[in-house]
Amino acid sequence: MSRFAELLDDFFFRPDEDVSGLQDFAAGSDGVASAAPEEVPEEYLSFRLEGESYAVPIRAVREISKVPPLTEIPRAEPHLLGVMNLRGELLPAYDIKVRLGLAEKAPLVAGPDAPVPPRDARILVLRTETGPAGVWVDTVSGVVKLKPSMLEPPPPGLRRGDKDCVVGIGRRGPSLYILLDPEQALAP
Amino acid sequence: MSAPSKALAEFVAEATEILEALGKDLLVLDERRGQEADPDRVNGIFRAAHSLKGLAGLFGQERISRLAHGTEDLLDRLRLGKLHLNDAVLDTLIEALDAFQALLAETARGTETDGLTRRADGMAERLGHLGEAPVARDEDPLDRLELEAQVRSVFTEYEEHRLRENVRKGVSMWRVRAAFDLSDFDKGLADLNTRLKPLGEVISTLPSAQPGGAHGIAFDLIFGTQVSVPELESGLKGTPAELARLAVRPATTRSAEALVRATESPAIVLGTLGVGSAPEASTGTSPPASRGVRAATDGGTHQPLFPLASDPSDTEQGETGASGQDSEPDGEPAPSTKGPSLVTYLQGPGGRAPALAATPSGASQAGAGAASALAEPSLRSLTQTVRVDIGKLDGLINMVGELLLIKASLQRLAESARQEGVVPLSKLFGQELARETRGLERKLEALQEGLLEARMVPVGQVFDKLARLVRRITREAGKEIDFVIGGGEVELDKLIVEELSDPLMHLIRNAIDHGVESPDTRLAAGKPRRAVVSLRAEQKGNHVVIQVSDDGAGIDELRVREVALTRGLITRAQAEEMGRRELLNLIFLPGFSTARSVSELSGRGVGLDVVKNNLGNLSGIIDVWSERGKGTAFHLTLPVTLAIIRALVVGVSARTYAVPLNSVLEILSVQPREIRTMERREVLDVRGQTLPFVRLSRLFGLPERPVSRYFVVVVGLAQERLGIAVDELFGQQDIVTKPLGGRLQSVRGISGATDLGNRRPVLVLDVAALLEEGLALERRRA
Repeated sequence: MSRFAELLDDFFFRPDEDVSGLQDFAAGSDGVASAAPEEVPEEYLSFRLEGESYAVPIRAVREISKVPPLTEIPRAEPHLLGVMNLRGELLPAYDIKVRLGLAEKAPLVAGPDAPVPPRDARILVLRTETGPAGVWVDTVSGVVKLKPSMLEPPPPGLRRGDKDCVVGIGRRGPSLYILLDPEQALAP
Repeated sequence: MSAPSKALAEFVAEATEILEALGKDLLVLDERRGQEADPDRVNGIFRAAHSLKGLAGLFGQERISRLAHGTEDLLDRLRLGKLHLNDAVLDTLIEALDAFQALLAETARGTETDGLTRRADGMAERLGHLGEAPVARDEDPLDRLELEAQVRSVFTEYEEHRLRENVRKGVSMWRVRAAFDLSDFDKGLADLNTRLKPLGEVISTLPSAQPGGAHGIAFDLIFGTQVSVPELESGLKGTPAELARLAVRPATTRSAEALVRATESPAIVLGTLGVGSAPEASTGTSPPASRGVRAATDGGTHQPLFPLASDPSDTEQGETGASGQDSEPDGEPAPSTKGPSLVTYLQGPGGRAPALAATPSGASQAGAGAASALAEPSLRSLTQTVRVDIGKLDGLINMVGELLLIKASLQRLAESARQEGVVPLSKLFGQELARETRGLERKLEALQEGLLEARMVPVGQVFDKLARLVRRITREAGKEIDFVIGGGEVELDKLIVEELSDPLMHLIRNAIDHGVESPDTRLAAGKPRRAVVSLRAEQKGNHVVIQVSDDGAGIDELRVREVALTRGLITRAQAEEMGRRELLNLIFLPGFSTARSVSELSGRGVGLDVVKNNLGNLSGIIDVWSERGKGTAFHLTLPVTLAIIRALVVGVSARTYAVPLNSVLEILSVQPREIRTMERREVLDVRGQTLPFVRLSRLFGLPERPVSRYFVVVVGLAQERLGIAVDELFGQQDIVTKPLGGRLQSVRGISGATDLGNRRPVLVLDVAALLEEGLALERRRA
């Protein structure tokens, strides 16, 4: 070993070396070694549709809005409830109950004949590949953290028509959440 | 290739602008073929090529840079009189412009093809060898001008050339001396220049020895003019200019001393340097002194005054330095602050182009150029930018400031209202609130207007672009045409101007290819040999009408009818009923014109339906007028802006919709019994004409409500007319239309939505689509 290499020797890492101090330092020097957990929980936003609990990944949700006045679009596809004005931005609002088999036809919520929307109803503004889109939900329940181990594949023989948009079931304690793929749920 | 970066986009924008300017000047030269070229214009083109070269070099655009270098080189020889501007040179320059544009388009796309590279390089090569040298003259006319050798030595090669030309032509030469306040000398100088320009030629602008007051600066303008003395004097009335004639000797040269004596001012030289003073000057300019100054200034970075004074070891420099100190009391720091630029200036005579750019005259001209570019930013189809006058932006910023003030007042009012709580608010409070609201409204209106104005550009940009193409098309078609442009100063929204170029091109091409007869045919028909194709814009209220007309053969409506019949566009029965006007309008039908019909038809050619569509997208209307043997005219009616439009607010089945007012022709009140059916299709009889008619509620599938009368909004786009029945009219309003966006693009009949102030989106009807739909129904049934 050359003299130069000798001098540098101290700086080399050895597999048997104790480097936990360094890890603490990297983790923000809070003293608690952040032993990387096996499972990183993902956050979901859960909401209710016709009494059932659903959830979408929270990163797909841009914001939650109270139901603003909606304007129906004549001759549009049936699951388009209408357009809304969110702080100057024009957004479409969709119904997904029909697609999920929860209702026969989309509720009348836009136009002059629409009743006042229920107090708890909200529009989730979701990020989609074709731009932001609103989805009508009956009520927003909250944020749930689900670890990969809590997720199950969608049960076979689930209701007709929703195979595409239901991507799984989340189970946390006694609660069950039907997990939706926003992109598929809003597909025309 | 990857998408072009932002820097590249900037390059494209700027280069396009330069090319536009270049093209404009070339066009003028082209129009005045055979006449002597305006030296200012040639110089302008040279400068444009030079800037382009610099810009391209900066952005590593080798191909453009190389071609620009060749062009610049040619233009430099041209402006220095080393080359005569003949047709071949001009044609090559125009060709080079096309090559530049092709190169730039490739750059914008981020591609590079070998073919174009070879073409550009070949052209650069050709530019280098082009041209004939002008006849050499035995005597330099410049020697006949009694101007100090020192002054002469500071002229750039170009200035010297212009001076020589002027003297040779026997133009009388003047020195115009003017002093300005340092704070606004640039304005004063620019003003003087604009006054002098019409009278003659400003050859050079030199800083003068005589300081113009405590904070003043004076200039000597070497000026050549052929106007009489009183005329010159009256032209300069109101400016601080003093005139002194520069004598021109008829032939022989005198001694140098005589030269110095003849014109009273060796001071010019020193003044030029910014260190001279009257006492020094009166002793006569000793060559060592001026050499000393030269030496000092050649040093480059020194400011003339102080560094020289601090270096007494050098005798020559010391001398000048002392004189500089002498001048200090009355000279003040003013000249010295001007020093560095003068130094650059003085280095000019050796160098050429760069020095020219650094001269005060060069700078002021460049400034004027920039100002005019602001006033009329050029059309840039490769970029999306708008150039805005900084004054306009400042105005907008001020307005925002005032809005903030109003906001503060409103906030104060809100605060006080909250503190008073349930106590009924005083009348005074109400009044104050109302006043603030009115103020807010006024300011918002002004802001809106200002922003709209910032989007406006003159249509002349497209016109200029078209004029260049016309030249080429005319040549290709073998016609002789005078292309007349009018109303280029009319302003339109940038977006519309961009979109207009293609439809206009189409119409003009048609006019030249098919509208205008060949020269021989014209002569036979008793018309002048040269045809006139004109393009005019005119503002009419909120609309701009653009007319494309020719004095050619006109459209033969019988041939139009035949073609329409053979193509199955109309039935024979329909044809029987059609008037001349309706027949003419058939040319706008899709499928009417194909490449084959161009030759068959005496009049129009390809793709008028495309033109119509493009205009429809701009909420424009097209109308055609034609008389056989006399010519054809297309009238394009366009809204001034698309950003904020006036809309008619209508109600149908308790829903509210907005109809862009620019496509509304009239509104009728119709009783249900007046609605007729023709072949189970509803129509209206309006002043003896049948108007296709749809009920909006039925079209949109809305629950119909019984009404005692309908309002029928008659909309027209391009040639089509349609009546749309609605239940109610709510009046007019300015609206900003927001597009429905990505997810809703497929929605038919709706172009977007707007907010009328109650947060509920109001849909804006897409009149073009509704027309299409309404008429398609009709055609199917017909």
